[in-house]
Amino acid sequence: MSALLILVPFFSVLILNLPLKGIRKLAFGGAICLSLLQMAAVFIPDAAFWKINPHAFGSIFSFELSADSLSKVILFCIGLVSFSALFATRQTLKDSAGRFNFINIILIAVAGMNGVALAQDIFSLYIYLEITAISSFILIAFNRDILGLEGAFKYILLSGVATVLMLAGIALFMLIAGSTSFAVIHAVLLNHNKDFLISLGIGLFIVALFIKSGLMPFHGWLPDAYTAAPAAASVLLAGVVTKIAGVYVLIRILVSVISFSPAIKSILLLVGALSAILAAIAALTQSDFKRMLSYSSISQVGYIILGVGSGSVLGIAGAALHIFNHAAFKSLLFLNSAAVECQLGSRDIEEMGGLAKQMPVTSLTSIIGSLSCAGIPPLAGFWSKLVIVIALWMAGFRAYAVIAVLGSILTLTYFLILQRKVFFGKPNAEFKDIKEAGFSLTFPALILAALIIGAGIFTPFILNRFILSFNSIFGG
Amino acid sequence: MNYSTLVLGIIFIPVIGAFCLPWVAKFSGRLRNILSFVFILSSFILSLKLIPFVLSGKTILIQQPFALGLNFTLLADNLAVFMACISSLISAVIVLYSFSYVSHYENQNEYYCMVTLFLGSMMGLVFSANLILMYIFWEITAITSWRLIGFFRDKPYVLKADKAFLVTVFGSLIMLIGFISIYQQTGSFDLPVIKEVLKTQGNISNLVVALILVGILSKSATLPFHTWLPDAGVAPSPVTALLHAAVLVKIGVYVYARIFIVNITPDVLWHTLLPLIAGLSAIVSAGAALIETDLKRIIAYSTISQIGFIFFGLAIGNEIAVLGALLFILMHGLAKAGLFLCAGIVEQNTKTKDITKLGGLISTMPFTAIAFLACAFSVMGIPPFGGFFSKYLVFSGALASGRLWVVLIFLIGAFLTIIYLFRVFNMVFLGKVNVAGKEASPVMVASVVSLALLSLAAGFLIYYPYKFAQGAVGQMLGVIK
Repeated sequence: MSALLILVPFFSVLILNLPLKGIRKLAFGGAICLSLLQMAAVFIPDAAFWKINPHAFGSIFSFELSADSLSKVILFCIGLVSFSALFATRQTLKDSAGRFNFINIILIAVAGMNGVALAQDIFSLYIYLEITAISSFILIAFNRDILGLEGAFKYILLSGVATVLMLAGIALFMLIAGSTSFAVIHAVLLNHNKDFLISLGIGLFIVALFIKSGLMPFHGWLPDAYTAAPAAASVLLAGVVTKIAGVYVLIRILVSVISFSPAIKSILLLVGALSAILAAIAALTQSDFKRMLSYSSISQVGYIILGVGSGSVLGIAGAALHIFNHAAFKSLLFLNSAAVECQLGSRDIEEMGGLAKQMPVTSLTSIIGSLSCAGIPPLAGFWSKLVIVIALWMAGFRAYAVIAVLGSILTLTYFLILQRKVFFGKPNAEFKDIKEAGFSLTFPALILAALIIGAGIFTPFILNRFILSFNSIFGG
Repeated sequence: MNYSTLVLGIIFIPVIGAFCLPWVAKFSGRLRNILSFVFILSSFILSLKLIPFVLSGKTILIQQPFALGLNFTLLADNLAVFMACISSLISAVIVLYSFSYVSHYENQNEYYCMVTLFLGSMMGLVFSANLILMYIFWEITAITSWRLIGFFRDKPYVLKADKAFLVTVFGSLIMLIGFISIYQQTGSFDLPVIKEVLKTQGNISNLVVALILVGILSKSATLPFHTWLPDAGVAPSPVTALLHAAVLVKIGVYVYARIFIVNITPDVLWHTLLPLIAGLSAIVSAGAALIETDLKRIIAYSTISQIGFIFFGLAIGNEIAVLGALLFILMHGLAKAGLFLCAGIVEQNTKTKDITKLGGLISTMPFTAIAFLACAFSVMGIPPFGGFFSKYLVFSGALASGRLWVVLIFLIGAFLTIIYLFRVFNMVFLGKVNVAGKEASPVMVASVVSLALLSLAAGFLIYYPYKFAQGAVGQMLGVIK
């Protein structure tokens, strides 16, 4: 049944494009309903819903889907972020035909991402990744302006490199294991520990995923792509696409296929710490609202990777929690940037100031998003960072735990700069006539802010069950 | 009423109430102000109701376990209730004063919301017996103080607000590392559990103590993390009084008492090192107060200097010194809040904070001048004001422990206090009239006069706070009376 999560968005795209009168008007409402349904579906407890018959397409390319708690967290994030992105299209894309196309592409991307979250074999995983990647190229270049095309082009180039590496890795795995199913490869890899080809395959795969996640030595494409993309596309990309295409797949491959080794842990920790700190430092100097958020995204992915790098259940649970929190606060902040851009026509934070009075909702929600990102309690981001830090500490990586804790001060610093330059200051006479952004940007922002506060207060209540549910993932 | 409910009420009436205030303001700004006062007052009254119970030696423990030891654990003992009473009393007077002070500024909704939230989270911090819970409330106070320091929204002010936020968060993050390492050693964030485990398991390392001290010192604005406090003087005066004199800076001191006196015994080394840091802090900032010309900065430096005395008393750690330190928290809170509020009146009515431009205000603002003098006497430690007893006890405790040379440092500090406070009084209230001013609104004058009277009363009626603090010390040090 979980295949519905992939099939429904695909078929909705087909139906929406049937030559029927008035059907195009349903696109927005339908897509919103789908995103809400997806969030609701995550809470279906029935185990049968989440399994489908394996080996539907012969023996080599097994086509398996299944979901554990990690997949469910991801599916929920997809629903949440696409909900916000869909709302953002209403104010940021004025042309109704364009908006219709945009919504269609979002739906395709959602289908692709759901596939990634559910896939249990390495080849269909790859296919879904490509579906997601190609739809994001189009979303970035949607306005066909020079920057958008440049950003999309950079993304295509690096994503292409990642694809080649990943395919090579898959080929090596198939060569050795004779199958693409996670379980089979996992079983085979356990017995061939020191094989050169296997190490090569693992290496290729991990580097490909580093590129896709935009981690620090491989991040060149990310700020350009995020900044140049239309506002709604940035929300989707930063909130969930790269987290899935890179981070989620990395976690999935690590826990279900290749399992942790000390070498992998140390690489992850190093890359994670580098990204968390260097990207935060880079964010300090940005003057473009969205660019600052992009670097912040890289830095937060660094945190997630640090959690993964601890190699413990606790660390993975913390990483998953941070993926969720990041989806909430980063979508929120990109919505805020869209609101400011819409009303001011600029993204340069040096030109802004004192907007809190004109845009109270945007200002308040951005404070909540920023503080959550900086890990200030009682907001949601605090808990995930705390779990990651505790996981690192308990796993014996104390230096990395200290880096992770102190990175928060950098995060807080750039967000305070942002707040000071944009919202928190004397009302500027120049912006006297600026009004709050429309309902379609403030409404999802309020929902996300409420979610961040709610999650901040209620995380302790669910934390135990949440962490326990991750024990089963390590079963294999 | 059930005592546990009382404790929860003390914390959550202001915390939840704070977020109702902006909505109430849609109907009436006056109602919002009064409600804010009522919320804070109710915390005070409920804290008072706990006194008989805790004085009888009993404690209230509320526990709700969560994963990873992130439990919701509240503990009401003598020390907590003592601190809660002081903080909420002073906050109530300050909010009363704010009615008039902020009435003609913008962003009043945010102001009252943040002040009430601040008091609520302060109460939460006072009662929390779990390190992470403490940390959470600790950071909420940092958020509120960030917004409140930036109240006037001018760019330099916002910069200083950011600075205060960053310095205190930096400290608390370092402290968090210390907490996590305690967690690894003892398997719990709950202070009572940690205490039990450490009894059998030996002590925590000096590094951990140092990490936690960084957080404590940065919050209590002690050398070398003190620079944010004088800068934070750009906030409205009631805010400086509330956050940076009476309540917020006492968080660090309180947490020191809570962690290192009640639950964990740090190495002997700290009994020597910490008084030294505190002594340096007291002297250096007293020196700064001597040469500053900005009225509020002088009082802020004076706060840093007096906090040094409190740390001194706590670090000495014997019964008399700790007793003195606790009374010092009360006396200094009352008197310093009074000084800041007087400074606010002077500032608002003369439009300047520069003491070289002021003078002779005693003729136009007699009540303010006398209240200022009374509070200054208390801070200096002149009998019969309350400040005398606390300072005396700290010194006699230190002498009893035989640390003569540190006592000498602090004697110099106490002497400097007298000089700089007289200097301020002289330049602002005596001499030739330079800037005309008039007495402030009755509510504001009533607030400062009541703080001055409270300082005096605390001296005359020293028996009651003394008894209370003695009970707290007995419980803290495990002395059975």
